[in-house]
Amino acid sequence: MTGEMIAFFFLALTAIAGGVLLINLTNVVHMVVALIFTFIAIAGIYITLSAEFVAVVQVLIYSGAITIIMLFGIMLTRHQEKDRRAPRLKVILTGLAIGLFFLIMYGKIKDLDFGQQNAELHIDNTKKIGIELYSHYLIPFELTSVLLLVALIGSIILAKRDDDEKEAKK
Amino acid sequence: MLQISWLIPLFPLLSFILLLIFRKSRSEGTAWIGVLLTGISLVLSVGIWLAVWQGDEIKTEGTWFHIGERAITMGFEVNPLNALMLVIVSLVSFLVHLYSKGYMHGDERFPVFFAYLGLFSFAMLGLVLSPNLLQLYMFWELVGLGSFLLIGFYYYKPEAKKAAKKAFIMTRIGDVGLFIGMVLLFWQVGSFEYDDIFASVQNGEISSGMLTLTALCIFVGAIGKSGQLPLHTWLPDAMEGPTPVSALIHAATMVAAGVYLVAAMYPLFQASETALTVVAVVGGVTAIFAASIGLMQKDIKRVLAYSTVSQLGYMMLALGASGYVAGIFHLTTHAFFKALLFLAAGSVIHAVHTQNIEEMGGLWKKLRLTGLLFLIGALAISGFPLLSGFFSKDEILASTYADGRYGLFWLAVVAAFMTAFYMFRLFFLVFTGKPRGNQSKVHESPSVMTLPMIVLGVLAVVAGYLNTTWFGTFLSDYLAKGPVELPHGDHHGPGWIPIVATAASLLGIGLAYLIYQKETLSRSWLSRMFPGLSHIIYNKWYVDEGYDATFVKGTKGLSKLGVLFDRYVVDGLVASVTAGVQGLAKAGSRLQNGQVQSYGTAAIFGLVILLLIVALTGGYFS
Amino acid sequence: MSSVPLAAYLLLALILFCIGLFGALTKRNAVIVLISIELMLNAVNINLVAFAKYSINPGLTGQIFSLFTITVAAAEAAVGLAILIALYRNRQTVNVDEMDMMKR
Repeated sequence: MTGEMIAFFFLALTAIAGGVLLINLTNVVHMVVALIFTFIAIAGIYITLSAEFVAVVQVLIYSGAITIIMLFGIMLTRHQEKDRRAPRLKVILTGLAIGLFFLIMYGKIKDLDFGQQNAELHIDNTKKIGIELYSHYLIPFELTSVLLLVALIGSIILAKRDDDEKEAKK
Repeated sequence: MLQISWLIPLFPLLSFILLLIFRKSRSEGTAWIGVLLTGISLVLSVGIWLAVWQGDEIKTEGTWFHIGERAITMGFEVNPLNALMLVIVSLVSFLVHLYSKGYMHGDERFPVFFAYLGLFSFAMLGLVLSPNLLQLYMFWELVGLGSFLLIGFYYYKPEAKKAAKKAFIMTRIGDVGLFIGMVLLFWQVGSFEYDDIFASVQNGEISSGMLTLTALCIFVGAIGKSGQLPLHTWLPDAMEGPTPVSALIHAATMVAAGVYLVAAMYPLFQASETALTVVAVVGGVTAIFAASIGLMQKDIKRVLAYSTVSQLGYMMLALGASGYVAGIFHLTTHAFFKALLFLAAGSVIHAVHTQNIEEMGGLWKKLRLTGLLFLIGALAISGFPLLSGFFSKDEILASTYADGRYGLFWLAVVAAFMTAFYMFRLFFLVFTGKPRGNQSKVHESPSVMTLPMIVLGVLAVVAGYLNTTWFGTFLSDYLAKGPVELPHGDHHGPGWIPIVATAASLLGIGLAYLIYQKETLSRSWLSRMFPGLSHIIYNKWYVDEGYDATFVKGTKGLSKLGVLFDRYVVDGLVASVTAGVQGLAKAGSRLQNGQVQSYGTAAIFGLVILLLIVALTGGYFS
Repeated sequence: MSSVPLAAYLLLALILFCIGLFGALTKRNAVIVLISIELMLNAVNINLVAFAKYSINPGLTGQIFSLFTITVAAAEAAVGLAILIALYRNRQTVNVDEMDMMKR
């Protein structure tokens, strides 16, 4: 039992526990908070996978930005504090389908192993990623900026249009 | 001369087409188209008959189409038998056209009536000229169509409509028989030609059982058309048509087509003793059966109709008893005197506007000419000496006797007695005694109607002299030249036969005189003597009722079964299919509930199923 | 060198994906549905990064791809939330099962 393994088990358990809490909690805000644990645990998993930069981005964007956005979304909309349960039959059917899906996939991945390569991914990880992004992946990278811009403008317009209409009506 | 005989039927056809074009015309001058064109046909027919009399014959044919190796031909044929028929048909047709000009005066569909007459004449003449069975069958059906149209001419009267349908369906039963016989013959002989059929009959190429079968099938066709037992019921009902139609179709020509068919196929019948016996028995029984019904009828035209059935039975009897000449002879004379009787009856109906003889009486003074002509017709049909019916009926009786069918002979004698009785019952009730109905406006018919009657009256008197033992047997000499080899050359029975026949007819006339004129015997005398029998006879032996109870009810029951089957089984099947589809659709539309998550679930299910398949089968690559 | 096998990472990713999928399909609150979808994307990212390290040909491509995924996910979250708010203004609800205007 190496330290890596202990770390993996701990992180994985945290992530799964967050997910289970997401399913089982009834308060919406609590759900989102539970998910923060999952996101942070996943960041730890990335570190064990020698992806420091991705881990940092994960913490920044998921645990920070997206969760905060979601919390804002919750606060801006009115809720019954407790999320009502879905119809039982639907839950059972969906659970059945997903359970089957899980079993099939598990059967396929449980023995998957490509062997260990001696990859030095953790050495100068951020620097290497930066070089790759600005050389080999330059065009997708720039396109991503366009996507983000479009998303930004689109969100503003979507969230704002109704106000204009209401004013026009007045 | 004979080469142009194919033109004869075309003139009535032309008349039919022209009159259809002018069918909206209100002018009654359109009648002259029909009269003129049938007149041309008549002239041609007479010319051809004279040529045939000289011993001329013709048969022209062309190939119509091929069935495998066999050629189906079309053409025309003139021999003594059909030349005679040509004359009868075109003459009666012409006279009826002329008569109708007066009778149908003021009818709304005046030109249409003449058009139908033209169609019928065309079909009948074509039938007579046909050299093979197939062509004959086509015209046979056309004749039936003409009859149907003319019976139903007053289609706004429900009885006429019913009668037309009945006539069509009843004759169709016979036609099926004819058709089967025709197909059997074609199967056996490989040709529809009369000549080929007769040749193979002569050479014994057909087994005797098959011969009898085909002959009987063809005779079924004749039964249907000629109103013999048991398919006779349509003929009295057909009297719903206009009276000239009854005279033309249901007395002189179309109903004689059955007799003509048997005569034309005579060698086939001759080859089978059974078939001849059947023909004779059916004819004889029909003769007395129809005559007995005629005794009690109250409708002037129905009496004549039953008389027609009875006389047609006589002809069949003659043919069945090897009296070929006698049958044709009676066909000829009957055509004249029965047409005369119908036209005279039409003239009476035209004058008093009723067909019920109980409402007539005492018309002799007012309708002097009609009465005289009716009397001639009645005497002729009764077999009064020296008139046409006497000779032809005598011939029939003689040949029946000579053929050794004594039972049928006495049946025929009794029928002759009955014929005389009911004809004179009719005559006395209509023309003598006191008027029993409103006769204020009664007047003699116009000359356009009386003229054809006079012509027929003359013929009814003299036609008998075509074939007599005293002056010469012109007709049998003439027919002997035909394709049909006549049976025994001379079959004149013993000398007492004419005396018996005359006695029977005079007895009938005398009895009618006593009951209906002198009234020395009460009118209900007979019916009181045999109450049950007379009741049965009055109701026409319950034949219609019997058919109604068996065939009509049976068909209706079958139809009801069919309806039930359709309603519960077929409809149930259809309904369950629709219900199934609807249920499926409803289930499908319930799945479409507009909720994204439901669709997502469905998609996952689909994915799982696909993955299961891949996992279980090992996938595409393994 | 590394004692944790690839299958363990893949199993973790599968479990998280299934949880996310279940949440996305059964939760009625639209915000939670969106977050569940983020969870599913995260599970995919774990796979990408894990394969980047443990594949036959290890490299940075998987990590870089996961970066793009995170970016797109962020954009998606922003747009999704904007739509949600617009919808809420019109219908006064964020329940997914009440959003069936296309059928009505």
